Amino acid sequence: MSFLSPLVLAALPLVALPIIIHLIHQRRHNTVEWAAMMFLVSAERMNKGMARLRYLLIMLMRMLAVAAIIFVCSRPMASGWLSRSGMGKPDATLILLDRSASMGAQDIQTGQSKRSTGLSKLAELLKKRGYGNQLVLIDSASNQAQTVESLSDLLDLPMVAGTATSADVPQMLEAALVYLKANKSGRVDIWICSDLQQNDWDANSGRWPVIREQFGQLKGVHLFLLSYADSPAGNLSVRVDNVKLQPIGSQTELVLDLTLKSDKSGAEAGSNINRIPVELTVNNVKSVVEMELDQQGASLQGHRIPIDGKLRSGWGQASLPGDANPQDNQFYFTFSPPLVRKAIIVTDQPKIGTAFRRGLAISSELGLQNMAEIISTDGVAGIDWGETGLLVWQAPLPGGLVAEQIASFVKAGGVVMFFPPTQREADGKSDFFGYNWGNWQQLKGESAKVSWWRSDADLLSHANSGESLPVNDLRTYQYRAINRDMSAWSSSVLARLSDDQSLLLRVPTDRGSLYFSATLPTAQFSSLERDGVVFYIMLQRALTDGCQALAFAAQIDASVDALPNPADWKSIAPVGTGVGISQRGLQAGVYQNGDYWTAINRSLSEDISPSTPVASVDALFDGLSYQRIDDAVGDNASLANEIWRIFLVLMVLALITEAILCLPETKPEHQTDGLAMVDRGTRQEFS
Amino acid sequence: MRQKSEGRHNFIDIKVLARLSGLWLEARIPMLGSVSGRHRSSLRGSSLEFAEYRKYVPGDDTRRMDWRAWGRSDRYYIKEFEADTNLRLYLVVDTSGSLNFSVDGVAKIDYTRSMAGTLAYLASRQGDAVGLYGADKGFHTEIQPKRGSAHLRLVLDTLADLKAEGETGLAESLHQAAESTHQRALIVVISDLYIEPELLRGCFQHLRFRKHDVVVFHLIDQTEIDFDFDRPTRFMDLEGGVPIMADPNLIARQYQQSMSDYLSDLADVMLEAAVDYHRVNLLDPVDQVLARFLIGRQRGKR
Repeated sequence: MSFLSPLVLAALPLVALPIIIHLIHQRRHNTVEWAAMMFLVSAERMNKGMARLRYLLIMLMRMLAVAAIIFVCSRPMASGWLSRSGMGKPDATLILLDRSASMGAQDIQTGQSKRSTGLSKLAELLKKRGYGNQLVLIDSASNQAQTVESLSDLLDLPMVAGTATSADVPQMLEAALVYLKANKSGRVDIWICSDLQQNDWDANSGRWPVIREQFGQLKGVHLFLLSYADSPAGNLSVRVDNVKLQPIGSQTELVLDLTLKSDKSGAEAGSNINRIPVELTVNNVKSVVEMELDQQGASLQGHRIPIDGKLRSGWGQASLPGDANPQDNQFYFTFSPPLVRKAIIVTDQPKIGTAFRRGLAISSELGLQNMAEIISTDGVAGIDWGETGLLVWQAPLPGGLVAEQIASFVKAGGVVMFFPPTQREADGKSDFFGYNWGNWQQLKGESAKVSWWRSDADLLSHANSGESLPVNDLRTYQYRAINRDMSAWSSSVLARLSDDQSLLLRVPTDRGSLYFSATLPTAQFSSLERDGVVFYIMLQRALTDGCQALAFAAQIDASVDALPNPADWKSIAPVGTGVGISQRGLQAGVYQNGDYWTAINRSLSEDISPSTPVASVDALFDGLSYQRIDDAVGDNASLANEIWRIFLVLMVLALITEAILCLPETKPEHQTDGLAMVDRGTRQEFS
Repeated sequence: MRQKSEGRHNFIDIKVLARLSGLWLEARIPMLGSVSGRHRSSLRGSSLEFAEYRKYVPGDDTRRMDWRAWGRSDRYYIKEFEADTNLRLYLVVDTSGSLNFSVDGVAKIDYTRSMAGTLAYLASRQGDAVGLYGADKGFHTEIQPKRGSAHLRLVLDTLADLKAEGETGLAESLHQAAESTHQRALIVVISDLYIEPELLRGCFQHLRFRKHDVVVFHLIDQTEIDFDFDRPTRFMDLEGGVPIMADPNLIARQYQQSMSDYLSDLADVMLEAAVDYHRVNLLDPVDQVLARFLIGRQRGKR
């Protein structure tokens, strides 16, 4: 319980007023000359047990009534969790708002989403309770701490609107930590409003122990989790993949894959809806396709939509009928004619260059055209970076202007793969992004095998069919260690040799990709070319990633940096939403920049990720001052209510009880009976 | 007498005596008096009140033979008449300190004087002997019953001089009265009876055993029964005991319970000992109390 006027509680000693009055009353006694002392003595002896208890109860009721009046005046608020944070208001309040797409799940009756419910309740609570000197918002889209000037502004800020992004709760907490350490606030309340989705919380992340430890070092920080873990029943989500323009004669067809995901609880509830109409809009032409729904959802591969043959690029939209979460009922896509996917191989050794060209020249997808060009290190200046998707660099690491050009290429979304030069660098070791090559090492027998590789993501991940790549069959006979400067960012290893040396690693970059391979594909160095499957798939994937940035039409997950320069992009769909510049890239929709189209949608994990069990979430805050408040979307009950009425009722009850206890008891009737009996008896005897 | 009562004997109200002048003090049982009076005697005598027939035995006075009975039954019967005698009235007056309790200016001891004096006057008026016992510790006051106005003056003077002080000696006084009174008598006890009923049981059974007609005027005021106080009070013991500081709100119920038990036990004692018991409220006028008592006696006799 907390109090809106805690100063009134200073009057609590007045509870002793009945006792003081009683003592004063005792001192103002009368003196009476009394004859019937034998009864007084007897009464004093009997005045133990129930009679004394009754008097004590009377006194207690009076004290209770006084206490209740004081509590009423102090305006108490009901909430067991608030009491843990002390009675006064905090010095500062931080709101960590999960703006992910799944927080858009809403109550159909009230039309309120999880996000808006949580936010409005928080605003109401903070209005009643006070938020201290500072109110800071950290939203999941930007992960930046932003000061909110007044509570009335909170609900109207663009930073609290729903987005199609995913949240990163550990990162939000890290941002909170940075803020707290920078501002050195005193007592701080941190409110996390989230639906506990697994991909947002990433409970197994190694960041959590660090976060827990750092929060543990801060004094006066109280964490409150406003949880909306309930999944909306019967929710469906739609997703469009693999959108391709396919010319068939003079006609053109748009080929795409449609996927519906169904919430299990809807199927368990025995919903009768088993055929779902999906509305597809392309170039303002609508068509409807009905999809059979099973427990998991539905999938439609290679759905064809005839379009105008003259239409070279554009956008479309797949829509579902309204359900519990409107955020996942739309999916936007864009399309443009396939580009020639161009890769540049920089090498001074034609044999190795040929090996790379063999792996890159033939497209893995029907209808796509690949082009691989081998150039020597002298011809680097002539590279047309604007048309290149992948750069394979098998030469000493670049420096100077070339290095800058390559960095710009990566920043623009291109992919660069570095392979070691066969000869040692004449002018000593140079590095790129803090990485450089070691000396050549020989491997034989079992040690030539790949001991570990990352199969869940990136270049060596499982094939679409689910089968793993035959990385096990690869042999590495010679390799150059990939060294990293202390100042360089740590890389993620994709494959590791048996002597724990990295075979393939990826350097983290904001956009694009940067890979280092420790060996070469030719037979002298490894079996990559000979067992060509892994080599081919690896190169094709890198080329595909690199060319995505070049395509006129792109389909990317919503994030704060989804659009490089948001001001250059015009919002095309949804129509009339008036998305502000700062929010472009966060909201699902279609954006156009000249000939380039980008469809922004929620990530796949937003559709399929279940809620983290509350016990696991609680364990994340183990040892911290933390309280979870489970709420439900559409629940109108306030987080904290003033409960002075209860105390008023309590006071009335105490006074009534006191009055009942004070009621004079009925006098014994049999006294006169006894006397009458005497008279009657004596008369009978003598009559 | 009238002049005296206006002076030292002012506890006797002439108006009360005037109201009670038409009533006689009667005993419930036959008395054994020394002279002729207006009370039944246990002996046969020559009054006009027929007592019984008995068979003639040689030596009986033939003048008392009922010839009409002989004519009807051909047997000799002697017709006997009751004897009329006077009674001895013993007034046992409690003089313990508790008799100083007063309500609205009326003290129990004053009330006792008034009742005892009036009864003494009534008895003396009808030729009965009047005695007085003061029931204090030590039994200091004892006046053997005698007839005559001079003796009545002595009794009234003694009553006027009585002071209520110290602890009660009622139980001892009653036993003393029972032992020292050899012949049947009317014993009137005027007291607040603040003694354990079990002690009183023995006293009254003793008196009853000695064939006395016992009357008890129990002086207890309604305030003593109700115990109606609303603030803490220091109760001073009129018999010199330790004062008690008490909150009536706390102990009223227990007090009333204790009082109720006492009155109930007292009622049992009075019933068992066939005592003519009268509870007297201090606010009741003396003449009404005595009139009720005297009328009740006459009704019982009929």
